[in-house]
Amino acid sequence: MIAKMKLTPDTEQVHVSWAPDRPQKTGVAASVQGISKRFNKSRVLEDVSFDVAEGESLVLLGASGSGKTTILRIIAGLEQPDKGKVILHGKDVTDLPARERGVGVIFQAYALFPRMTVEKNIAYGLKIRHRPRKERRETVDRLIKLVQLEEHRKKYPWQLSGGQQQRVAIARTLAYKPQVLLFDEPFGALDAQTRVHLRREIRALLRQVKVPSVFITHDQEEALELGDRIAVLNDGHLEQVGTPDEVYNRPATEYVATFLGAANLLLGVVTRGRVEIGTALLPAEKETRRFRNGQSVKLVFRPEDVCLSPDANLPDGCRRLANGVIQEVNFVGAYERLIIRLDLAHRPQTGELAPLYQVTINTPEKMTGVPIMATRPKPDANATKYKVGDRVAVGLTSFSVLPNYTLAKQR
Amino acid sequence: MLGIMLPLVLLPLLSIFIYGTSKGLGTFWSSLIAPEAIFALKLSMVTSFWATVFNVIFGLFAAYVLSRYNFWGRTAVIVTISLPTAIPTAVAGFALLLLWGPYGLLGRLLNPQGAQLMFTPYAIILANVFVTFPLAFGVIKPVFDTMSRSLEEASATIGATRWQTFWHVTLPSLRGAIVSGALLTFARAVGEFGSTILVSGNLALRTQTAPLYIFAKFNEGQIEAANAIAIVLALLSFVIFSVLFFARDWLEYEAQEI
Repeated sequence: MIAKMKLTPDTEQVHVSWAPDRPQKTGVAASVQGISKRFNKSRVLEDVSFDVAEGESLVLLGASGSGKTTILRIIAGLEQPDKGKVILHGKDVTDLPARERGVGVIFQAYALFPRMTVEKNIAYGLKIRHRPRKERRETVDRLIKLVQLEEHRKKYPWQLSGGQQQRVAIARTLAYKPQVLLFDEPFGALDAQTRVHLRREIRALLRQVKVPSVFITHDQEEALELGDRIAVLNDGHLEQVGTPDEVYNRPATEYVATFLGAANLLLGVVTRGRVEIGTALLPAEKETRRFRNGQSVKLVFRPEDVCLSPDANLPDGCRRLANGVIQEVNFVGAYERLIIRLDLAHRPQTGELAPLYQVTINTPEKMTGVPIMATRPKPDANATKYKVGDRVAVGLTSFSVLPNYTLAKQR
Repeated sequence: MLGIMLPLVLLPLLSIFIYGTSKGLGTFWSSLIAPEAIFALKLSMVTSFWATVFNVIFGLFAAYVLSRYNFWGRTAVIVTISLPTAIPTAVAGFALLLLWGPYGLLGRLLNPQGAQLMFTPYAIILANVFVTFPLAFGVIKPVFDTMSRSLEEASATIGATRWQTFWHVTLPSLRGAIVSGALLTFARAVGEFGSTILVSGNLALRTQTAPLYIFAKFNEGQIEAANAIAIVLALLSFVIFSVLFFARDWLEYEAQEI
């Protein structure tokens, strides 16, 4: 069973720092610069660069095969890059072997030493550094207390739960004051409930110890919760690095938009401060500023940014996109999910107020509208009920406009 | 099942004990403490011990290299190491004799120096090493292969040298495999006959091991003498087998948690 962890730091532990004793001039703890790597002819990483600030936690988010594990292994020194540098606290460590880098890796299956008790696992880093017994004992005592495994100190790894093993793995690296902590899919092996619980524990623990951390995960929810910043990796290159708010609400690329949560995509053209999608004209003065007139763009918006109205009166802050017909209504627990077919063929007349009725789902041959997904929280869903076939005005509270490259290499 | 096992396995074994003690324990005891008998038993233990030590150390080393590094000719090395399992032991002994004997390819070089390898206890060790080498290797290598690399990588990132990692992390995880590999090698070496009889010269009180002693005494018609040693060897193999069998859970559990 997973012991509950206190989220408030112990008063006596406040003065103990597990962060490395190094002058912090730049505020950059770890830096990856222009890393490229190939395995047998296939490109794994292409010119990847990012920084991890002191005390920050950065999440490398990407699908399997995106190269995120390779980046982690390169930082740890378990893999050599073909090009590029790894810099830890201002020192170029690219050519140093793993054991001289002083990074802490929390492996996916924790990689605790099976022949050693919890105490011995934690003391290992100091033991091989030939630190005096007294120092070893004191450090182990403090760390065991920090990760709240006091009653398990004499146990072997196989006698512990997954969460407890993970805490041992973290304590084992903190013992030698790592320059940076690297977490390799830390919650991959756990069930959904434990995962959420442990995530909070680790977040709280990291706030306490203030060691800069890099997580790798393919789980967007995990990324949003764990990361001070998120780096989205796609097929070996970085798509975007930013705060959770930035990558979620202002995705830089289509990949980021679709990988982090659900997103609707519509093709359009920039026309004098507006995005023209079929016959619809969406006012987007600010969003289209970086594009020239006539440029082909993609309109990207999240299901929760769609607002609906049974008449033409959309709420304030909601920009009218088009009209549509409700095709599907699903109640999915916390919210309601709707599929709406947009009418992008009919050009509204000036002064026309009522929604248009061009789109219909009654006959299959008329299913010409473009489907989008919208979600509504329960209060909204209860206030205005929709059923299949209802006509609605569709607006957007927030969206991004991205260039529409026809060829990937134009990126 | 018992109907098959009884005449095939149990009755022959039982007859050793029945016959060996039929003339009273006194006869059994005096046959056992005959100087030649004691020498033969001791020689078997000592030569088997050194063959075991050698094969566990080199089996460990070979398994480590062959499962951790990929190099040109790796498969060829694995095949070569495993080859002795398929070679009849008499052929192995004969081959060693041709190589190291007084007129052998290498023995010819040793001979003028007054050195003679064949027909000495060293020859017995050499034959044992040759015949049993695949055993320890065969038990240890699969454990290396299945051992998660991340343990060694974790140790490296924590700051351990390669040697520290091997000593503190890899070796403890191999304990079970090393124990069973050693027992198998020893059991096999103690019983080795075909290669030993060729390379040792079967000289009583000099190069006669326990199985050779049984053979020699039987040929001389001294059935009691042969039988006494046969009982000792049978008991020894029971002990080794029991350890391997009843400690199997312990040994397998060792392998699992890696």
